[in-house]
Amino acid sequence: MKKLLSLLLVMCLGITLAVGCGKSSPTSSNEDNNNSTSNEDNQDNNSTSNEDKQKITIWAWDPNFNIAIMNKAKDLYTANNSNVEIDIVDIAKSDLEQKLHTNLASGLTTDLPDIVLIEDYNAQKYLQAYPGSFEPLTNKINYDDFANYKVELMTVDGEMYGVPFDSGASGMYYRKDYLEEAGYTSDDLENITWDEYIAIAQDMYNKTGRKMLSTDPNDGGLMRIMLNTTNQWYFDAEGNVNVADNEAMKEAARIYSEICNADFTKITTGWSEWVGAINTGDVATITTGVWITGSVKAEESQSGLWRVAPTPRLNVEGAVNASNLGGSSWYVLSSSKSKDAAIDFLSKTYDQNTDFYQEILIDKGAVGSYIPSQSGSAYSAQDPFFDNQVVFGSFSQWMQKIPSINYGLYTYEADAAIMKYMFDVYSGKLSIDDALKKAEEQLLIQIQE
Amino acid sequence: MRQVNRKLGYEGRRNLVGWCFIALAVFLIALFYIYPVFNSLALSMTSGKGVVTKFVGFNNIIRLFKDSVFKEALKNTFIYFIFQVPIMLTFAMFIAVLLNSKNLKFRGIFRTAIFLPCVTSLVAYSILFRSIFSADGIVNVLLMDLHIIKQPIAWLIDPFFAKVTVILAITWRWTGYNMIFYLSGLQNIDPSIYEAAKIDGASKFRQFTAITVPLLKPIILFTSIMSTIGTLQLFDEVVNLTGGGASSPTLTATMTLSQYIYDLSFKYVPNFGYAATVSYVIVIIIAILGFIQFKVGGNKNENV
Amino acid sequence: MKTFKSTLKYLFLIIASLVSIFPFVWMIIGATNSATDITKGKLSFGGELMNNITRLFEMADIPRAFFNSLKIALITTVLLLLISSAAGYAFEIYRSKARERIYNLLLLTMMIPFAALMIPLYKMFAMNGLSNTHSAIILPTIATAYIIFFFRQTTKAFPKDLMQAARVDGLNEFQIFFYIFIPTMKSSYAAAGIIAFMTSWNNFLWPLIILQSNEQKTMTLVLSSLSSAYFPEFGSIMVAIIIATLPTILVFFLLQRYFVEGMMGSIK
Repeated sequence: MKKLLSLLLVMCLGITLAVGCGKSSPTSSNEDNNNSTSNEDNQDNNSTSNEDKQKITIWAWDPNFNIAIMNKAKDLYTANNSNVEIDIVDIAKSDLEQKLHTNLASGLTTDLPDIVLIEDYNAQKYLQAYPGSFEPLTNKINYDDFANYKVELMTVDGEMYGVPFDSGASGMYYRKDYLEEAGYTSDDLENITWDEYIAIAQDMYNKTGRKMLSTDPNDGGLMRIMLNTTNQWYFDAEGNVNVADNEAMKEAARIYSEICNADFTKITTGWSEWVGAINTGDVATITTGVWITGSVKAEESQSGLWRVAPTPRLNVEGAVNASNLGGSSWYVLSSSKSKDAAIDFLSKTYDQNTDFYQEILIDKGAVGSYIPSQSGSAYSAQDPFFDNQVVFGSFSQWMQKIPSINYGLYTYEADAAIMKYMFDVYSGKLSIDDALKKAEEQLLIQIQE
Repeated sequence: MRQVNRKLGYEGRRNLVGWCFIALAVFLIALFYIYPVFNSLALSMTSGKGVVTKFVGFNNIIRLFKDSVFKEALKNTFIYFIFQVPIMLTFAMFIAVLLNSKNLKFRGIFRTAIFLPCVTSLVAYSILFRSIFSADGIVNVLLMDLHIIKQPIAWLIDPFFAKVTVILAITWRWTGYNMIFYLSGLQNIDPSIYEAAKIDGASKFRQFTAITVPLLKPIILFTSIMSTIGTLQLFDEVVNLTGGGASSPTLTATMTLSQYIYDLSFKYVPNFGYAATVSYVIVIIIAILGFIQFKVGGNKNENV
Repeated sequence: MKTFKSTLKYLFLIIASLVSIFPFVWMIIGATNSATDITKGKLSFGGELMNNITRLFEMADIPRAFFNSLKIALITTVLLLLISSAAGYAFEIYRSKARERIYNLLLLTMMIPFAALMIPLYKMFAMNGLSNTHSAIILPTIATAYIIFFFRQTTKAFPKDLMQAARVDGLNEFQIFFYIFIPTMKSSYAAAGIIAFMTSWNNFLWPLIILQSNEQKTMTLVLSSLSSAYFPEFGSIMVAIIIATLPTILVFFLLQRYFVEGMMGSIK
């Protein structure tokens, strides 16, 4: 028996050691906050330990972009609200989504942040899969002041959730010098169709040997941009799958497979290589969301050589030269213990503050979707990097023309299904009609409940 | 009679001591591995969006048979299993035999170099491989300089080459690890057996098939079982190499079952019930393979 | 003929070594280059090392992450070796039908994909207030079927007459384990220690789910978030990879001597 006891003792020792060590760390981790709260308070992120001190925890993913901007908002807000403490946690985007799912699915709210950044394509998914987890802000935010298409994405059953953040309004960035070399002026690139784009690309490649664009054949981003120039999507307004018989979809698939097989296209794998292709001067254009501006400007030696034209449109009825890719918004969790402070924080910075938007535009190239801010001086400034074009002013105009689409819940499922069969289209194994039919079949199984 | 009683007493004590030694480990594994599996049994009978679920009984199993992505993931998992495991183990064995040969110089350096890959963290090595195998990456640059290829190969996205890259990456990371097992086994073999074979005029190859392989059979079995498990659970490598990140779709051409479970839970509209069903498929495959392994490998453990 | 064969042998080993080492060389070269040079596949040293280092330490709290990882890995290794070796030892020494069955069941748990455990496991920890603690990372990893299996195999090579002699000397069963088995099998412990340390140090998915705050983050988590930024700073990431890989390389070099020896015991 003595032996048994001694072994148990050793085991208990082991466990206490493990538990003890883990427990001690939250204390040490909070050394730098000089408020002297007890251990338990420090462990709980959301608690309002002191009556007058509120803590807001925020999850976001890009230290150079949305986190940097959130830090600015934090400084702005805490200057006037010293009783609020804001903690911004940096988590990679896919990691953030996974944590959010795990937390929400477990039904436990202790580890959830107060505010979380969600990509627009995913908004409906979270709102509908976890009803009651996000706080409706219908009467707390002036939604009329935000771009209509953004508000649409965060509306469920007439209630609006979230505060719209950056816009993914798209444009076609191009190298003026490369295109002039092939005999094209800026006017030739205004308001064109994708077929015209391909014709210009082929002609330039034949004349100068320069490539027009870089793309990742597995990435559906460019296809979504094409599709979003129309008011069609993978799903119709009621949320039914609309792939196989969708004319805009077929047109986008045709253009995209032509681009992927063309000799004027540089095939890249992964994000950094795709961005790298513009910085190294390997390609003449990049068509994507306005958030890329910072990366384009990263190569200072190319100053004055770039310009931006409206997004090429699909050759279908009702298509416009404006589209969208990405963009994200801030959401408040219902479980938040500092809910009111969190809402107040968001509305004082992202809602009612035009100067804030001027600042983040100049500093970070972030185009917000807050319309009153777009009459500000930063939006009408000429940018020498872009040949003195009024870049952000143009984006702001295009933004208001973006067809308003309800992306629904299943954008990534649809994307995966379509891109899977696109490889057979590139290689000629399947016709576009057959590929889309197969994609639709797969998608229907994927989204069944 | 008294003797029997005493014997039982001794056995009983030994028995108790045995339980004491394993108690904590068994408790922890039961708590953290076995309990969650049973916990998700109920889950696998449900389906829906996130926390909005309903009971569907065996519908999820019917859905499996209609799900082409599931079939693709199953197929890919078996492709990795059929190609990667033998390639890696053959390499590992070959290197181990070379390293074990007499009079080899720089043995330590070779061994260390070849083992080194398996100390890297998964996140680190996938970042490295992504940059090495990117379209403009060093592999394409070298192959083009040597005029082996004319156009850069899309190593990370082309349905065929992406599988090749995954196989290369796993082989790179784990060959040295398996090599160490073989090397240890080889060093256990008495050199006089080889001497005798040499005198009998057996060729090197004959020595290998007639002496080395039979003597290393338990190790070969062990490494192949471990590699099989590794393949069935294959997740991190594929996600980090060809996953494409949060905003682009998972490459179906390289998707594995574990990755599909992950996507169903965290990337798509979360359907935890269906994800649990898919994970039971892995458990069942493993149970079958485990059964075969016991049949083939013989039940040595029972020889108390 | 003979020299030809031996040249071939060396050539093969040299190629295999070069292929194995190349990514490490790439990482060191990368640490001295800018992000654009790395994407272009530049294979020579550049002058960006200091910039990359400074930028890295600005972007992330590397010392804290490093310390967190080290603390977790060390505690995990010690507890894992103790608990799992005791179990592996007992499964071999004190055999019984019931324990054999349990053992076989444990081996099956090796094969459960972690993705299937994630959500129930998270629930369990969060409900007990253990999320966002390092003990939540340590606890599920201190008893693993693999290490138990490893120690059961090595115990087969443990000379049983040593046990008998110890019993005659009056040592009880627990003393035999602590005073005879552990010291005798130290190379097996070293081998298992290397594996345990590497696994814990490189652990990614579980810490990602269970840790919530920046202060608690481990090196792998920091690495992952650095690399998935919109505009990844590859030069700094390479520096981070070097820092994240150093401890495992160091542990391996320090214990390498015992490694093959320890593995040898495990496969008899």
